[in-house]
Amino acid sequence: MSNEAVVHAHGAVATHEGHGDHHHEHHHHETFITKYVFSQDHKMIAKQFLITGMVWAVLGGLMSVLFRLQLGYPDATFPWLEDILGKWAKGGRITQEAYYALVTTHGTVLVFFVLTAGLSGTFANFLIPLQVGARDMASPFMNMLSYWFFFAASIVMLSSMFVETGPFSGGWTAYPPLSALGDASPGSKTGMDMWLISMALFVVSSLLGGLNYIATVLNMRTKGMSMTRLPLTIWALFFTAVLGVLSFPVLFSGFILLIFDRNFGTSFYLSDIFINGVGALPNEGGSAILYQHLFWFLGHPEVYIILLPAMGMVSEILSVNSRKPIFGYMAMIGSLFAIAILAFLVWAHHMFVTGLNPFLGSIFVLLTLLIAVPSAIKVFNWLTTLWRGNIRFTPGMLFAIGFVSLFISGGLTGIWLGNSALDIHLHDTYFVIAHFHIVMGVASMFGMFAGIYHWFPKMYGKYLNNTMGYIHFWVTLAGAYLIFWPMHYEGLAGMPRRYYDYSIWESFKQFVELNRFISTVAMIVFAVQLLFLFNFFYSIFKGRKVTSLNPWGATTLEWTTPINPGHGNWVGEIPEVHRWAYDYGKDGKEFIAQTTPVGADESEHH
Amino acid sequence: MTMFLTIAVIVLIFVVIFQIAKASEYVSVLKGEEVSRKQNNKINGFLMIGFLVLGLFGVWYCNELYYGKTLLVHDAASVEGARVDSMLWVTLAVTGIVFILTQIVLFWFAYKYQESENRKVFFFPHNNKLEVIWTVIPAIALTVLVVIGLRNWFLFTGEPPQNAMVVEVTGKQFGWIYRYPGKDGSFGKKYYKNIDNASNSLGLIWDDKLGHDDVVMEQTMYLVKGKPVKLIIGSRDVIHDVGLVHFRMKMDAVPGIPTTMWFTPKYTTKEMKEITGNPNFQYEISCDQMCGNGHYSMKGVIEVVDQEEFDAWMVKQKPYYVQQFPEKDPAAPKAVADTAAKTASVKPVEAAKKAVAKM
Amino acid sequence: MMTSVQTNEPKRIHPHKFTMWVAMGSIVMAFAGLTSAYIVKKNQSSWLEFDLPVVFWYSTAVILISSVTMHLATKAFKAREMGRYRTLMTVTAALGVLFIVLQYLGFVNLEANNIALVGAKSNSAASFLLVITGLHMVHVLGGVIALLVMFIRAYSSKTKTYSSVPVEVAGTYWHFVDVLWIYLFIFYNWIG
Ligand code: HEA
Ligand code: HEA
Ligand code: CUA
Ligand SMILES: [Cu+2]
Repeated sequence: MSNEAVVHAHGAVATHEGHGDHHHEHHHHETFITKYVFSQDHKMIAKQFLITGMVWAVLGGLMSVLFRLQLGYPDATFPWLEDILGKWAKGGRITQEAYYALVTTHGTVLVFFVLTAGLSGTFANFLIPLQVGARDMASPFMNMLSYWFFFAASIVMLSSMFVETGPFSGGWTAYPPLSALGDASPGSKTGMDMWLISMALFVVSSLLGGLNYIATVLNMRTKGMSMTRLPLTIWALFFTAVLGVLSFPVLFSGFILLIFDRNFGTSFYLSDIFINGVGALPNEGGSAILYQHLFWFLGHPEVYIILLPAMGMVSEILSVNSRKPIFGYMAMIGSLFAIAILAFLVWAHHMFVTGLNPFLGSIFVLLTLLIAVPSAIKVFNWLTTLWRGNIRFTPGMLFAIGFVSLFISGGLTGIWLGNSALDIHLHDTYFVIAHFHIVMGVASMFGMFAGIYHWFPKMYGKYLNNTMGYIHFWVTLAGAYLIFWPMHYEGLAGMPRRYYDYSIWESFKQFVELNRFISTVAMIVFAVQLLFLFNFFYSIFKGRKVTSLNPWGATTLEWTTPINPGHGNWVGEIPEVHRWAYDYGKDGKEFIAQTTPVGADESEHH
Repeated sequence: MTMFLTIAVIVLIFVVIFQIAKASEYVSVLKGEEVSRKQNNKINGFLMIGFLVLGLFGVWYCNELYYGKTLLVHDAASVEGARVDSMLWVTLAVTGIVFILTQIVLFWFAYKYQESENRKVFFFPHNNKLEVIWTVIPAIALTVLVVIGLRNWFLFTGEPPQNAMVVEVTGKQFGWIYRYPGKDGSFGKKYYKNIDNASNSLGLIWDDKLGHDDVVMEQTMYLVKGKPVKLIIGSRDVIHDVGLVHFRMKMDAVPGIPTTMWFTPKYTTKEMKEITGNPNFQYEISCDQMCGNGHYSMKGVIEVVDQEEFDAWMVKQKPYYVQQFPEKDPAAPKAVADTAAKTASVKPVEAAKKAVAKM
Repeated sequence: MMTSVQTNEPKRIHPHKFTMWVAMGSIVMAFAGLTSAYIVKKNQSSWLEFDLPVVFWYSTAVILISSVTMHLATKAFKAREMGRYRTLMTVTAALGVLFIVLQYLGFVNLEANNIALVGAKSNSAASFLLVITGLHMVHVLGGVIALLVMFIRAYSSKTKTYSSVPVEVAGTYWHFVDVLWIYLFIFYNWIG
């Protein structure tokens, strides 16, 4: 069945009456509901993911500002906090319960809702059909379901914040027994049930999306679009989907066991527990470490699920704006592949201090450090792509360059942590916080921003305002380093993470001023993100109109669609592809689109 | 009030930025996209190099400010910890060089190759030699790091030396309980269902004779300078973590699955006070695993002393069994029996305090 | 358009079928996760050894037969023998339900023999059996629902369908849950 038929057939069974040349964006009359709410158009679903992700980014960012207030000003009181948080900030100071709930929810929503659903949900949906030359996803209906499962997960997570005992507060990794025992922590009561339901819905959403992305990339490419002609964005999104499809089910299994332990008295994770005020629990023979294996078997691939789409988009954007082919296309694919494989084989590096078998630990050290090799290939290839290019600093390009800088900075500290003997010292200190915020919280976020700035013209037919883009970039880049760089020093002093207050600790109380500084910068950075959001929504309605089909002079297929493509993407036939996606500056030409047939006198490049 | 003021100021700044942004967009439309793009390019190219210079300066300045507050200014307080430190320096050297070089190259290229009319782009899709070089060199660097790391790892996770003393550490929400094996050198058995906060905080099985001389206490653990110590770590409720920053050691406390860790203290607490110049210095045990709302306050203290001091202190400790069943105390008959035997869990703390005071 | 795409491209597997294959890979991972957890736990202390109730042998036979009827149903559909197709689909779905009931009886049987699956007296060995088998039952149930949908479709006169894709996809899935159960059965009895 062709692409055409798939779009026609959604929901119903393919009836094959309509082949030939009609283009169906003309004969679907869409109501508001089918167009904006229960849309099956991948482009609209992408926007739904994006905007939901933004809502969560604002909430998650705001949470970090709130708990940073506690860390930066542990003795101060802010009466307005009590106004907005009520009993969670009695007397204007965030309570311990609230602090841990905020940190946990901050981590959960930013990792899963913003940088998984918001990032690959948006760009896999938006770019895969457009860049491989398909009318829509393999199953538009599943695609729609994927979004609505995510939406349901969001609603459940949101409501968990209003339950009497508070949202879950045991850290985003939700280690049992703490997460299994309501008696051990109020946050593990109803809040945890809702957290689990929300995450289960989220897993379903990710799986539905991932299946679709894989099937579309492998099955729905247009004529001539061989795998080695795919833009690197697609390769990255493809590996992302594979990682998700293979690792989320394992997390799901882990959650099922946790649900049984919580509600049905089983002892998968529980053993030998005495709770103050309750007494000894009957559970014996369980292993709390088992959960950690199941969690990190997803948890580690998850961080690459977050990173790979950013890498893919950055590769594309660097190449387009350097007006130069990406350096080492095959090596880029190879390293993506290597990273994807290794991602499954390093999970226990989060567990070096759990009493892991030392021999097993040493294998994980080896495999973990091995990841630096494909990462090195990517970094050096990006640098070489810039070399002797002709760089245009569009906001998208700036964020792509910023991504490379941050990925290096954050990745290198991973080398410290991956070496188990060193990790013994650094584990669960602010060094880890610094590591993953730079490489994930900021670098991947930069990848996402780069993607938005670059593809906004395609999404809405308008440009974002450049000046605001530049301010957004420079303040965020500088701010991110100012926030997270000094945290390495706190980590080197052994300062533990997830601490509400350091004042009783002789060893960690010397950073009061630094913490205040960090909190202040975090607020500024957050404010600048709001500026970006303003730019985004303002430009959708009032931005400068896009007037040319291909504003960045890019080679890829999405720029051959109309400025505002309808459902089905191309009017007329889907163009045929004749070359790879990176013929920039070849034979003295600015660029050669993928749709241009290879000329007789064209030079070979392989 | 201040909040409204702040919000007002922020909104004001937003409005100003927005006006400027709007204006510059109109100007760019007037001037033509080409021209304004080139202008923007110049500005951002300059900012790239500016950011590089300021950034590297910032890295240095940050180090000036905060290096002194890290643990690295003083020796590690354990023999094994010194190896962690040296490993840390090697890793810093390797990653530091990579960091400086790649960041310089990145921002320098961005600046150098900004758009210019007379540059012709170099069509350079791949080059096997280069790609092999930057696969092999990192691989070699990493091999070195792995070898150093694993040697330490196997040392740390291996068996402690023969002469090591053994202490059991048990985490609970939110504090630590320590147990010494007493004169016989071995611990009595315990079972968690016997736990009773007031009279049997670890759930010792009283029938087990080996446990009758076990010494149990909270708050402060005593260790001996220069003598390896093996900690047997467990938990009564959720997962905790014994974090010993000065010794550079850390190990989870998991309910139902005992873990171990060993190290050799190098300086007594008194010596550390001098070394750090901090009269309040303490070896602190920080809990490094999220364990509930009191996680941040789950503090323990280690007092490292000389062998003689330790012996003198140990002699004064009453076995937990004897505290609970004073009538069974071979040394002191009936007399002291009725003095509130049930406040046992507070008692060892006081005992410890007294011991410290006398030293 | 359609003809041009299909004649010039190497023959590709239908996207929906392909999606089903990827989905099966994903489901396999969930069970791989659970069965490896099972092995890990089994090697630790306090593992209760017990024999599977005989009912599970019957249910195994049932699901095997249902695979055969499913296969025949697909063939009937392709041969456009709609009457036969409907009958076979009904039989398959009924066998699916019977399978679920038998599994449930297996649990009842265990409980009756004082092997608690959940609750304070439970042992992870039995709890694992419940969770893994239960998850598999949910997948079978999903298959039954899919069959019912197809069954209703086969009766509704509005849409005359000639594409065998949905039937084949459903068939693939049905065989898959069958194989999955065989794996689990072997696993419980001889590996785990
Ligand atoms: C996007 C997310 C992301 C990415 C990409 C990474 C990348 C890496 N991470 Fe990170 N990590 C996280 C997100 C991420 N991490 C999170 C969220 C946590 C904490 C979770 C929690 O506990 O809450 C974590 C925690 C974490 C730990 C556990 C720490 C602890 O809890 O004690 C470890 C340990 O091994 C680790 C290692 C690594 C390594 C080796 C890489 C490598 O992939 C990095 C490779 C990159 C480079 C090395 C830089 C570029 C290379 C060169 C310039 C070449 C030259 C280099 C050399 C020769 C050295 N990470
Ligand atoms: C990817 C994720 C991500 C991101 C972006 C951030 C962003 C920030 N984080 Fe967070 N953080 C985590 C993931 C993330 N964090 C995780 C996983 C944990 C561990 C939780 C745990 O221990 O369980 C953690 C924990 C954590 C801690 C440790 C708390 C503790 O252990 O006690 C701290 C402390 O300072 C912190 C601070 C910050 C700050 C100041 C920011 C600032 O950068 C915030 C600035 C705001 C934003 C960057 C987002 C807003 C963006 C927009 C509004 C734009 C929207 C647009 C689009 C979506 C396109 N975070
Ligand atoms: Cu105990 Cu954290
Ligand atoms: Cu990891």
